[in-house]
Amino acid sequence: MDFEPSDTQRALLDALGTLLSRHAGTQRSRQLAVRGAYDHELESELRAAGFLDLFGDSGAGPLEATLAVERIGAELGAITPVPHLLVLPALGLPVPEGPVVLADHERSGPVRYGREARQILTAGTDRCAAAELSPDEAEPVPSAYGHPLARVVPRRAEELAPGTAGTMVRWWRVGVSAEALGMMQRAFDLTVAYTKDRTVFGRALGSLQALQHRLAELSVLLEGARWLTYEAAFRGATAESSAVAAAHTMAALHRLTRETHQITGAVGLTREHDLHLWTLRLQALRAELGGLRAHRRAVVTSRWGVAAA
Amino acid sequence: MEFALSEADAAFRSDLVGFLDRELAEGWNRSEHGLGSAVYTDFSRDFVRTLAAKGWLTPHWPKEYGGGGQGAWQHFVLGEEMWKRGEPRGPQYMNVNWVGPSLIKYGTEEQKAALLPPIARGEVFWCQGFSEPEAGTDLAALRTRAVREGEGYVLNGQKIWTSYANEADYCFLLARTGSVSDGRNGISVFLLPLSTPGVEVRRIDGFVGAHSFNELFLTDVRVPGNCLLGEENKGWDIVRRTLAYERVGAPRYARAARVLDGLADWCRAAGLLTDPGVQEQFGHARALCEAARVLVHRVIDERAKTKEPSPMAYQARAAMVQAERAVGDLALDVMGSEALVEQSPGDAQFRNSLGAGIAAGSYEVQLNLISRLILKLPKE
Ligand SMILES: Cc1cc2nc3c(=O)[nH]c(=O)nc-3n(C[C@H](O)[C@H](O)[C@H](O)COP(=O)(O)OP(=O)(O)OC[C@H]3O[C@@H](n4cnc5c(N)ncnc54)[C@H](O)[C@@H]3O)c2cc1C
Repeated sequence: MDFEPSDTQRALLDALGTLLSRHAGTQRSRQLAVRGAYDHELESELRAAGFLDLFGDSGAGPLEATLAVERIGAELGAITPVPHLLVLPALGLPVPEGPVVLADHERSGPVRYGREARQILTAGTDRCAAAELSPDEAEPVPSAYGHPLARVVPRRAEELAPGTAGTMVRWWRVGVSAEALGMMQRAFDLTVAYTKDRTVFGRALGSLQALQHRLAELSVLLEGARWLTYEAAFRGATAESSAVAAAHTMAALHRLTRETHQITGAVGLTREHDLHLWTLRLQALRAELGGLRAHRRAVVTSRWGVAAA
Repeated sequence: MEFALSEADAAFRSDLVGFLDRELAEGWNRSEHGLGSAVYTDFSRDFVRTLAAKGWLTPHWPKEYGGGGQGAWQHFVLGEEMWKRGEPRGPQYMNVNWVGPSLIKYGTEEQKAALLPPIARGEVFWCQGFSEPEAGTDLAALRTRAVREGEGYVLNGQKIWTSYANEADYCFLLARTGSVSDGRNGISVFLLPLSTPGVEVRRIDGFVGAHSFNELFLTDVRVPGNCLLGEENKGWDIVRRTLAYERVGAPRYARAARVLDGLADWCRAAGLLTDPGVQEQFGHARALCEAARVLVHRVIDERAKTKEPSPMAYQARAAMVQAERAVGDLALDVMGSEALVEQSPGDAQFRNSLGAGIAAGSYEVQLNLISRLILKLPKE
């Protein structure tokens, strides 16, 4: 057991941090959001630096790829890191340029970067289907939640091998957890900092025990989600570990959204304040794969071997 | 980062599991009798001797004190496997987790020679005499007095909530040797044989599982000077370390997770496990048990490396409380009135979970410490 990053992991995250400080972050995110655009530049920088190959890399692997997804989420990278760094490599599929949409056959609804995406991967009951998307058929929908969303119509679907849906869904769960984790940590840190700076009734907001306990409980949830996610990646996204990680992470996400906005008061509800850059985008992650309730049921089907409800 | 036990530790676990499965095959049923019940405690006396003979009672102690010199992970694996089975060591988990290590760290050679071997052989019970009627969370407000008389001390005062005092041979007792105004700086630790004249134990009727509370009345209890552990008035340092050992020493999530498995079996038999709402509650509780596990593992990793406890332990302990509560609540929610039947799979868990956030440092105290030491939130 070793809960500390290895030298390789540290070096990798340092390099990624440097790249993201140049090509991602709050300012970049704000600029791109105006245009509702995918960040092709960031994607190509990551590709050139080898970050899209981490999963199968001999010197790295799925855990390193998961750590990278977390960082990209934290820095608001306007790409689709979960398919690019985890799901496609896990399925042994090539990683194309531009956004890739992940979907599951039980749910429809608008998807992130649906208008720009050329590829959609849909998890069926056993197999995945890979299909093309055409921009003419995508129907953008207005949304205040930060990601450009569109309804899409998959064409010329190609069924992949048996069992691929399971692999896809498990790595998707690990990926969405890692991405959420990075984003949640930033929203949390902003909120904690706010409680230290803000004065009420002549004392720091953060000195009020009623708020301290809520923040402390959030930190417990976040740390639990973090280590469950890393552990699931380390274990190769087994059915149970990936469902547990996603269930716990999404529970944290629900709580974090409420608490960060409550504790930062009105200023946290403005576009000027950075908090919403993370909290609004997080809501798209919350909806994936059926969300909290579905992740929790997946824990049960994997642990106790019962049929899905 | 690596989330697997070393080969040696994994081999130890599998030996241990095989041994426990054989040893506990008969005469032991985790759901039938709760930790603290007479049946349980009786069982534990023989069981612990068998463990000691195998070298698995105190494997993490240094060899010179009857231990096996093994690392933090083997000690922890032992605890995890024990709690999974409902802790068949009974009260002796306290001996090996924190009483022994505190004696090893602070005891004189004479104290170690006299007190450690019986613990390592599994022959004695210890209890913890910290809390008093006016000193719970605010432990430093304790009033039990120890006054020097010749070479020894005279103890007067009252302890409360002392688990296992009715069975124990010794008490790890806190008393005030300085004045009340010294607060934490006037407290000392005494190693008190409970057979000493002037000690009276009275049971308090509680309902946290089969566990029994006790009161300890001390009236002119005369003890020799060698009952003092460490230096006079320096007891608070020992307490801090003891509580750190204790905080994650009992991996209660392992028991909660095992109970949850039992509840899943029950629900399956009752045809409830395919119900989506029931599934969601199980998924929630299982995730909390797993989160507690990884957070405790993180603390053990730190202990294995640096041996100095950090504030992360407070997050781990808070997560354990959340897990125990979630499983207790689930039991009542899904089993309905069947959970109210004594010794049903849900009964002990629910009643235990009521005390989970109180014993060994309350939940709120963990949150206070996280706020201050991890989040660095300001005091008033
Ligand atoms: C099952 C069980 C076994 C026990 N075994 C032992 C034993 O063997 N030996 C022993 O010495 N003691 C034992 N105890 C006692 C235990 O250590 C105390 O109950 C504990 O320290 C809390 O003290 P209290 O009960 O007096 O509660 P109080 O201190 O009165 O606290 C009541 C409530 O107020 C909250 N609170 C207190 N201070 C603060 C604060 N500053 N901020 C926010 N909230 C606060 C607490 O968290 C708690 O919820 C046991 C308790 C239980 C439940």
